[in-house]
Amino acid sequence: MQLTSKQSIASALALASCSLLSQQVSAVEMTPTNDDWKVDAAIMYYGEQDRVQAAEVIGNVQKAFGDSSLLDLKIVVDSLTGASASGAVAQDESQTFTRPSGDGQYTVDVGETPLDDTFHDTRVQLSANWQEVLNQDWTGNVGVYGSKEFDYLSMGINAGLERSFNKNNTTLALSGAFSNDVVDPVGGRPVAMSQMVFRGNYATDTDYQAAFDQTRLDGDDTKQTSDIMFGVTQIINRNWLMQANYGLSSVSGYMTDPYKILSEVDVNGQTQAYRYENRPDSRLKHSVFLLTKGALDSGVVDFSYRYSTDDWDIQSHTLETHYRYYFSPSMYGQLHLRYYQQQAAEFYQPFLMSGDAIPEFASADYRIGDMTAYTIGLKFGQRLSGGHELSYRIEYYQQNPENNGTELPGQLQNYDLFPAVKAIVAQVSYSF
Amino acid sequence: MSLRTRSWGFLGSFNAMASPCELLMAVDDEHIARQMLNIAYDEAKRIEHKFSRFIEGNVLWQLNHAQGEIIPIDAETLHLLTFAEQCFQLSEAAFDISACPLMALWRFDGSHNVPAQSNIDNALRHVGFASIELTGNSIYMPAGMSVDFGGIGKEYAVDRTAKILAQRWPNQSVLVNFGGDIACPIIKTDGWQVGIENPHKLDNAAALLTIRQGALATSGNTRRYIEVNGKRYGHIINPKTGYPIEHAPLSVTVLAPNCVMAGMLATMSMLKGAVAEDFLQQQGVDFKVFR
Repeated sequence: MQLTSKQSIASALALASCSLLSQQVSAVEMTPTNDDWKVDAAIMYYGEQDRVQAAEVIGNVQKAFGDSSLLDLKIVVDSLTGASASGAVAQDESQTFTRPSGDGQYTVDVGETPLDDTFHDTRVQLSANWQEVLNQDWTGNVGVYGSKEFDYLSMGINAGLERSFNKNNTTLALSGAFSNDVVDPVGGRPVAMSQMVFRGNYATDTDYQAAFDQTRLDGDDTKQTSDIMFGVTQIINRNWLMQANYGLSSVSGYMTDPYKILSEVDVNGQTQAYRYENRPDSRLKHSVFLLTKGALDSGVVDFSYRYSTDDWDIQSHTLETHYRYYFSPSMYGQLHLRYYQQQAAEFYQPFLMSGDAIPEFASADYRIGDMTAYTIGLKFGQRLSGGHELSYRIEYYQQNPENNGTELPGQLQNYDLFPAVKAIVAQVSYSF
Repeated sequence: MSLRTRSWGFLGSFNAMASPCELLMAVDDEHIARQMLNIAYDEAKRIEHKFSRFIEGNVLWQLNHAQGEIIPIDAETLHLLTFAEQCFQLSEAAFDISACPLMALWRFDGSHNVPAQSNIDNALRHVGFASIELTGNSIYMPAGMSVDFGGIGKEYAVDRTAKILAQRWPNQSVLVNFGGDIACPIIKTDGWQVGIENPHKLDNAAALLTIRQGALATSGNTRRYIEVNGKRYGHIINPKTGYPIEHAPLSVTVLAPNCVMAGMLATMSMLKGAVAEDFLQQQGVDFKVFR
């Protein structure tokens, strides 16, 4: 560059600085720098009234490598304690049950829903996902997942591909996942529909142990799950987008809950025996999900509906909405409402009748029975200095199991065989 | 990050780029003030994270660790490097962002150490923007060289922030002040009162300026110098000799249409040493020099 005179320095600088500053400026441009780490940590408490209590710690780390790659690592550790409904029905006398391990017994008071209190576990779950923007139109992701609890091990892989069309206004996504689980219950897997044995009916420990072992299968068992999902996201206008997904899930293997039982009652509703439940070893599930999401003047709202059906005959409808309102640019409140309705599995029955033929498949697990459930939740989030974010969530969840049309014999009419489950969820999250 | 109400509007403040940063907003809606402050904070932090010399793995770190490889760079980095190259040429190689190895030798921490000549000679071998090659999307820098946006980055962040705010709120006057580098993109009829620090009495305003629109930047060695045998060495290094500029003013403050230009004129005048004032006079800008 030839300098003609000293004065020209100022004008040359004026030109050079204008060209430097004339690049596209946009306030929403938040390009991740190459050393962009994002860490989220959360502590969650889930507590059912008189039943399961869970505490969960969640850690999530995201690291961007340039603009095209993203690594996402997640760890979840949760600890469960408390009691869950075993599937047996309430009675007008106290009931004694053999613990799943075969060691010892527990007793349930008159009129109480039998809860198995041996229930406590710690679960550690790790997952890693890699997302790669392949070019302007294609994005791919792959991931691995593993989770371990005392009697259960799950390992999985997943992969997905996204394609954008017409200036990113339309996105098609296809993803698949496969997982293999190993079930190794405490005390072994029960023989399907076999009767629970009691120490009190045997003269010696040896006799009892031999009888108990008769109700158990050797070794562990596995379960394979394959999922495939196809989705479309369409941007409608500046403020609204819509999304539709179809998912197909196929599960084969051991799906019985080894800790759930059914009461076998006579015509007076009196329990004669307890039998270990049994579920089919395959399940094919379809689900459809629709979502619309919109930006409002000072908030965001979304509505979604999910329908799912499977060859166990469980059908469910879920309606959900979130409404987020920004009190200020750095603080928001969010309302969450969810309604869920489910139709029971074909082999669900609240109890067995003595004298009837024993079915191949049966379960009294209220979670696959008829039910409605709703959630109402509030969340507050605020941005702190330094770009950190703090949010708190509190939710009330209630499950209302219903009778699927079974006539209740004798004394069973005196009890609520389908008690509601009420739970509180509280969570504190911090991102930096 | 804090937001306080003032009689004339809102004062936002935060820390970024190792400086106290302020945003003066002549607005009466706290909602808008908070949005402006968030934007300013995000932009300052974005530029700091991308171009700070002290963050491992960022864009600048990658440039400086390319080990003589040609590496791709994004448009923004290219624009900044191109600007630095133009300044290098305009100042006849006196302003050189590749002078890092020399900066590293001169520790302006109040100690009394002048680096050994052999070290200076060694460092000089790795200094010189002329050996850096820029193309439309890549940079080649000989191994052993490194660059530093110290003389440009903060001013650039001020201008960028000012521009984003002005585009979004074209009728609201704000003053962006990142550690003494200031820009007022939208005219304020009664002006902003800006004090210029007296280098002889730090933290005291020696002069009050009224700025209605434009920018102001200061270059100076008021807080960073070493004194050896009664001789004060300032923090402006002459990249050609490897020694601090002699007879440089204590500080130079320049007013210009934008902050990058003001900062560069101030720095270039410091590099002129004894004739700093003449240089600024010739450029036809308003300035204040302390000696």
